[in-house]
Parts: sequence; C-alpha cells; structure tokens
Amino acid sequence: MVKLKPGIFDIEDLENVKIEIKEIMGEKMPEEEWAPMGPTPKPKIPDLRYWDRILLKRYPPFYAPQCDTCILCTMGKCDLTGNKRGACGISLEAMQGRIVLLACLAGCSAHAAHGRHMLHDIEHMKGELDKIPIDFGTEINVEAPLTRLITGIKPKTVADLKEVFSYIEENIVQLGDALHTGQEGSALDFESKAYQMGMLDSLGKEAADIAQIAAFNFPIGPDRPLLDVGMGTLDTNKAVILVIGHNAPPATNICDYIQDHNLEDEVDIGGVCCTALDSSRYSTIVKLASSLGRQLRVIRAGLVDCIVVDEQCIRADIIEQAQKVGTPVIFANDKKMHNLEIRDGDDPDEIVKDLVSGNVPGVVLLDPLNVGEVAVKVAQQIKPIRRKKGWILSDEEFKKQVEACTNCGNCTIACPNGIRIGDGHKLAAEGDSSLLASQFDICIGCGRCEQVCPQNIPIVSTMIKAAWPLIQEEKGKIRQARGPIFDTEIRTVGAPLVLGTIPGIIAPIGCGNYPNGTKDVYTIAKEFGDRGYIVCLTGCMLIDTGLYKDEDGKTLFETHPDVFDKGGIINVGSCVSNAHIHDAAIKVANIFAQRNIRGNYAEIADYILNRVGACGVAWGAMSQKAASIAAGFNRLGVPAVVGPHSIKYRRSFLGRKDKEEDWYVYDARNGERVYVGPVPEHLLVVAETIEECIPLTAKLCMRAADTPAGRSIKLTHYIDLNQKYLGDYPDDWHLFVRSEADLPIAKRTELLQKLEAEQGWKIDWKSKKIVEGPKVYYNPSFDPTNIKDLIRTKKE
Amino acid sequence: MAELKMLPFDAGNIPGPKMGRVTAPKIIGKMIKRAKKPLLICGSNIEEHGSIDKAIEIGKKGIPIAASGNAIVAFRNKGYMDNVKYVLLNDLANCLRDPEWKGLDGKGNYDTVIFIGSLYYLTSGILASLKNFVPHIKALAIDPYYQPNADMTFGDIWRKKDEYLAMLDEVIGEL
Repeated sequence: MVKLKPGIFDIEDLENVKIEIKEIMGEKMPEEEWAPMGPTPKPKIPDLRYWDRILLKRYPPFYAPQCDTCILCTMGKCDLTGNKRGACGISLEAMQGRIVLLACLAGCSAHAAHGRHMLHDIEHMKGELDKIPIDFGTEINVEAPLTRLITGIKPKTVADLKEVFSYIEENIVQLGDALHTGQEGSALDFESKAYQMGMLDSLGKEAADIAQIAAFNFPIGPDRPLLDVGMGTLDTNKAVILVIGHNAPPATNICDYIQDHNLEDEVDIGGVCCTALDSSRYSTIVKLASSLGRQLRVIRAGLVDCIVVDEQCIRADIIEQAQKVGTPVIFANDKKMHNLEIRDGDDPDEIVKDLVSGNVPGVVLLDPLNVGEVAVKVAQQIKPIRRKKGWILSDEEFKKQVEACTNCGNCTIACPNGIRIGDGHKLAAEGDSSLLASQFDICIGCGRCEQVCPQNIPIVSTMIKAAWPLIQEEKGKIRQARGPIFDTEIRTVGAPLVLGTIPGIIAPIGCGNYPNGTKDVYTIAKEFGDRGYIVCLTGCMLIDTGLYKDEDGKTLFETHPDVFDKGGIINVGSCVSNAHIHDAAIKVANIFAQRNIRGNYAEIADYILNRVGACGVAWGAMSQKAASIAAGFNRLGVPAVVGPHSIKYRRSFLGRKDKEEDWYVYDARNGERVYVGPVPEHLLVVAETIEECIPLTAKLCMRAADTPAGRSIKLTHYIDLNQKYLGDYPDDWHLFVRSEADLPIAKRTELLQKLEAEQGWKIDWKSKKIVEGPKVYYNPSFDPTNIKDLIRTKKE
Repeated sequence: MAELKMLPFDAGNIPGPKMGRVTAPKIIGKMIKRAKKPLLICGSNIEEHGSIDKAIEIGKKGIPIAASGNAIVAFRNKGYMDNVKYVLLNDLANCLRDPEWKGLDGKGNYDTVIFIGSLYYLTSGILASLKNFVPHIKALAIDPYYQPNADMTFGDIWRKKDEYLAMLDEVIGEL
C-alpha cells in the first residue's frame, strides 16, 4: 500500500503533469497530551465574554469621539451628536466601540496577514514548513506561550502555525461581520469584540515572530551585539539601500546578495521601522536608520539610492516623495503596489535599466528572492547619477526659502504638533537656524505643512537643512533584537516580580507620534531602568531610545544589562516581537506559579491582572496595529499608558478609585469578597506629558497580591517619581497602604505622620504601627481572583 | 476686540453638525460668574501666552483650579497653590461624566468647566466627550484657539498674544 505524504509528485509517462498533495486530511496524528486542556481552546466571540465583562465593569470605556457622525451606509450621513441614534439605530457611544473594533480589525489583520504571508515566503525560500522545527534550545521549553494559552496547540514545526493562522483568520472574519450595519448595537459588546481581536492580534504576532525566528535562524537570548542607529549612520560613500516596513524576507534577500557578492564595502543597507529591526536580526550589516517619525526625512534628505518597501506604516506618497530626490522604489509586497507593473518574470538587468534610467519610478517584485539583485544593482548604478546633484538645500536656496516665509501660520495649523514653523523660518532668515533645527525632532515627519504653504516652501527640506549638522551626528546604538524571554530568566525573576521586589516590567512599545520629540522615550526607559524595573522595548520607541547618550557617550543599551532581570533594558524586537512581552507574563504564571496555561486564557489573564506588575507605555501610538496591540495587552490583564495623541483612538478604559465597590475581588481560598484598592487603577489611560506618564506608569504596576516588601518598593517609586516630576506627594498614595509594612522603612515615620495628619488614621507611635485607617485587605497567603469559578472552597 | 474666527487649530478638526460657538469674552465671563460650581482646568501649556498669570487671577476670584499634565509645577513655581489640585485630565473627564461624582472638594460635581493652557488636540477630544455624553456640564474654552467641541469658545487668535491677554482680562473683569 502506498503511504501518502505531502509534496509534489511526477506521474510516470505523463509529461508536464505534477500532482501536489498539500495536507493529508483525516490522518493527522492526535496531538501529544502535553497538558490538560483548559476550558477555552480556540475561543470564539462569546467564550471569553464573561472575562471581558469583568474587566469592563471595573474599567468601563471612556469615549472621546473624533467625529459625531456616521457615514458608513447610504441612510446617512447620520448626526449622532449628543449620543443620538442613527438611521440604523446605532448610538454615538456604540459607534465609538464600532470604530475601535474596526481599528483593531485593521491592526490584527496587519499582523496576522503578515504572518501568513511570511509562511508562504518561508515555504518558497526555505522549503517545506514541517521540516523547520520550532526549537529554541535548552533555555526555552515553553516556546509559544500565547499559542498554547489561546489555541491549546504546542507547535513543533512552522507547519503547525498554519492551524493557528486558520483559527485567527476565521475569527477575524466573524468579528469583521459584526461591523456591518444592523449587527452589534452595544458599546460594551463592541469592546468585548475588540478585546477578542486584540487577543487574536497577540497570537498572530507570536506566530509570525516564531516563524521568522525558526526559518531565518534569528538569534535569541541576551547579550546581543550592538547595532548602529540613526540617520547619521548611513554611509553615503557607498550606494545606500533603504528598506521600510514590517515584512523582512525581501530585506534578507538583499543582505544575502550583498554578502554573497562581497559588496559590504560598496553597498550600505539601512532600515526604517520593523523591517529594519527584523532584518538586523538576520544580518548585522543592517543599520537602523530611523523609526517611523524620520521616514520622510530619511527619504527627502536624499541619503538613499534605492528604496525597498514591503508592508505597513509606509508613506502612501512614497513614489512622489522618492521622485523628489531621484530615488527609485521597489515594492515587495502585494499589500502595496501603487499602480506599478509586477516585474517578477522579467530579466533583472532590464528592470534595473528601467529604474536607473527613470523610465519608471518604481516596480513591483513580489518574489522576495528577486529583490536583492535588483535593489543592489539599482543602488550601485544610480549612485553616480544621483550624487551629481546635492539633495540638501544649498545655503543660498535655504536663505531664499526661509526669507519667502510670510509666517502666515498655515503650516502650524496643519501640523499635528502645532509647531510654530514660521517662527523658525523667521529666525533662520535673520541668520539663526537654531529654532528651526530644534523643531526637527518635534516634527513627526508627516509633511502636511508643505501642502498648505502658499509660498510653496519645501518645509521638510528647510528643516532638514537647518538640522543637518545634528542629523550627521545622529549616531546611536541599540542591541540586536533578542526575541523570546528565556524560561530560565523567568525562573530567576518570577518570584521577585510577583513579590514586587522587582517593581515591574515596563514595555515602551509602538509608534513615533510623540507630542514633544524623541527624547521623551529615552527619559522613560532610563528612569525605569535606573530604578530596577525590567524595560522591554519594541518597535519605533525602541529605535528612538537608542538615539541618546549619557555624558560618557553611552546609550542605554550600553549602560544597562541586556537581560530580562532587574534594571535590564532590552530590545525584544519588532512589533510582532512584542508578543514575547505578553509571553513573559504568561510564563510567570506557567513556570513560576505552575498554572496550566493550555486553553486557559481567563485564569491566566486574571493571574496577571492581580499579580504581575507589568505596564505598557505607547507614548507615540499612531497606527491601528497599536490599537489592537493595546487591546491584546488589556485583555491579558496588562494596563497601558498612552501619549496625548492617543485620545484620537477615541477610547480609554478607566477605573474609578473613588468607587470602593469596584475594587473588590475574591480570595480564592475561601470565596471571601475583599477590598484590594485601585490596583491597577486604569487599563488604558491617556497621559498628557511625560511628567505625568512616568509616575502614572509606576502606579499602574501595583497589584492586589503585592507582598508588603514589594508594595513598599512600588510605593516608594510612585511617591518618589511624583515628587521628582510633579513636585509633591500624589494625593492618592494612602489608598495603596494596607499596613505599616507597606511603608518604606526610610520614610516610615514621615509617612505615618502624614497618614495621621491628612487621613486621620490612628497610629501607635511606640510600635510605629497603624492601629486604624487602612481599608485594603492583605494576607500573606491571599489568593486574589476576579473569577468566581476559581474559588476553591466556597464560603458557607 | 480681535476678529474671532471659527478656524480649528488642527485644520481637520471638524467634528460634525454641532460646533462650538465663538463667544465674546464678556459673555464667557458672565457664564462663569453665573455658574453654581465652576472649575478652571489648566493644561500643560499653561505657561504659554502668559496664561498662568491670568489663571491665577481667576483662581483668586474663588474659582477652583484643576492642573493637568505638569501644570501643577508651574503653579507651584508661581507660589500659588491655594485652590489648585493636580488632575489627570483623562481621569477627571471620566469623573465629570458621572453626575453623582463628589468633585475634587468632596462637595459634588461641577456645572461649568473652563479650559485654559490646554494641549489643544487632547483637550479637543476631552471636550468631544463632554459635548456628547455629559449634558449636565457646560464646557467653555478660553485658550487662544477655536475649540469646535466646546459649548462656547474663543476664536482663533493664537498669533495675537496681547489681544488674547486682553480678552482674558475681559473675562476676569466679569467675575
């Protein structure tokens, strides 16, 4: 009997006939029983709704509409002002939930589709997926915590991830259906669906990153080498290729071509955004030219000879912008093709000729294996042509442009940060470019200013010219991305994290839409790293953090250990890699606390919410992906602080510390309902300035299960950071005091005096004990839970 | 008085059919005077345009001040903390929407909130929330910008600092 197996087969005597067997149905081996299956493997929309309702009761959505109308069907436009209902019956409040779900749909789809796309690329580039093991070595046994938690699957090869993506894809479609007119009508159920989407997003991120680590042999673990970061690191003596986006396979092919042809001395490769991060995991020849915020400026500075884009967060006008500086663009992903010809079947030299001659501004090459040769040859051949012209404004041209400015203010009201560009121009016209140069960093590089300038001043270019000396010196360092957190690291930090002696995990993640420039992200990371928090960075915030140096000329990645431990500041990786931060929290529950994670989402999220002091900080969140990422973190019990522009996401999740009834949990030992105080107080909250963000982030690391030692450390940081950044004690610090043991020893007397004087608490001054006052429950064996079903012995 | 224009400081910030009414300073001053329980909300740009000195003058007229972002530091540096409290703007707005909220003084919610020194786009979002979901509160904006989500607002006057300060004086003159 013939044993069928997947593959491509020739049929004897039949020329040109091949049979491809993709998957053998009905013969699949039952999965190894590696752990008992929990209650919710592959949860569908209603399955975790009960957990969402627990969260949404304590943290109901706060809506800030960006638009008071609905224009999604032809019965509209509907005026929903004042929470009126539209022609279909939807209220403005529900409409906000609907738009949030739509944003999460786009974000989740971006990550999941990227992952699925990469499976296709990997199969094409590396061969059969079931021959690529998911084996991260002896330091990692729990290889895919989110996959195990959500789907119940323990993936052994990259092929096993196909089932994970199939689960995600079906759910995305089901959730997308809920967006249609005449479907969901409840804001809270829209939010539950957004949570479901966020959870799928986290799963898609993990699967995508695992796939690329396994297929491309990305290194993992601590002590990674340092990489160059910043616009000033691009070596314009060489032909320069810039890769932009989030899908690294085409960029890996460029790296291969450069290295296979020994062209490192002739061709430089830099990246923007996550393609930079991921391709630098493949090859350290890749420099991290910039985060998203500098994208337009890297292009318009004319530094690069060939641009290769894949997907996500790439400017929609990239062809027009690149043409301004004579740079051809290769589009290497079907999500983004800009009405250009697909040229995969053509002779590479013909494609190069067309691009170098300017016959076409760009081409589409969908096969990643076709990209390297074309990109390198284009960059090499066009370099001498492009370099004849200087792309930075000459002194004369700069003077002419800034003198043409009438300071009409159009650019300022077009600017997301309201930068007074006219003032910068005015001073520059008088010979002082310092203000305009300083505006370069606050600018997010959107380019809206140029479109509204009645004098047609190329404002992006004037700002680049003013800041050019700074740009040339923009040379920082970050560590190469390390990917998953080791199980052994979790064993080391599990107890200190849950006990609170490591005060928290801080995750600065996401985009570069900052309110006041890139320095803020360095300040955030440094503050928490210096205080012994574990700082896990991903994405654009990570790249920008590496731009700054201390007085000794060292970046945070050089002054802080590259370990997931106290005071570590680590590069976890790209957007999809931030799944490993979820994973670290899950692993604490699994490895440290021995909780079964298989198909057991709600219990683990409940564990994290009550015990693991982790908090995300998305200071420049911009994209729909950031929306779905935040929803994924929130459902897992991890709060996040976002920057002021994030009010435009329309929704935050806020607790009310003044409503005592919201902060009761069960003690799982006996079912007793106990008041634990507002910990964590919010799940998703907008901060206005970093002076506000930093103490708030420290506050959101407090958890119901903190030990007295841990609480006293967390409280110390919260009070100290308030004093440092806001100049005084926070007005709510007493809400986190359960007994005198929670007070830091060095300040105990002072704090007891304040509690007595300001809160009326009774203190026994002989023993320095609080006799009366605190309401918050704590017991050394306290087992807090928000889920009634987890009570072990019901109270009589 | 300067020409008052309905031009949002973020050019694309056109929320819908109900847009804030550009209102003369004297009328805004009278609105504040008539309020049973007003609250002046000072944002992180309170030191721009000399707004903080005017905010302190308003505070001295007995109107409590909520300082968001790092505005509290500016008040402390000015030596004025009499009726100033730190707030997280997002948190404050969440409380404002609850008619039963006890307020910063424990005596009940407010009927009129006045924004000054705002981070424009953040406050615009907060005002949108108040406009659409908090009918029990009047929201006034006395920054040198047109705020389309406020009930009443100054117009676009951010390039004319002296005229703006004069408008604030008119408001204060009514208190």
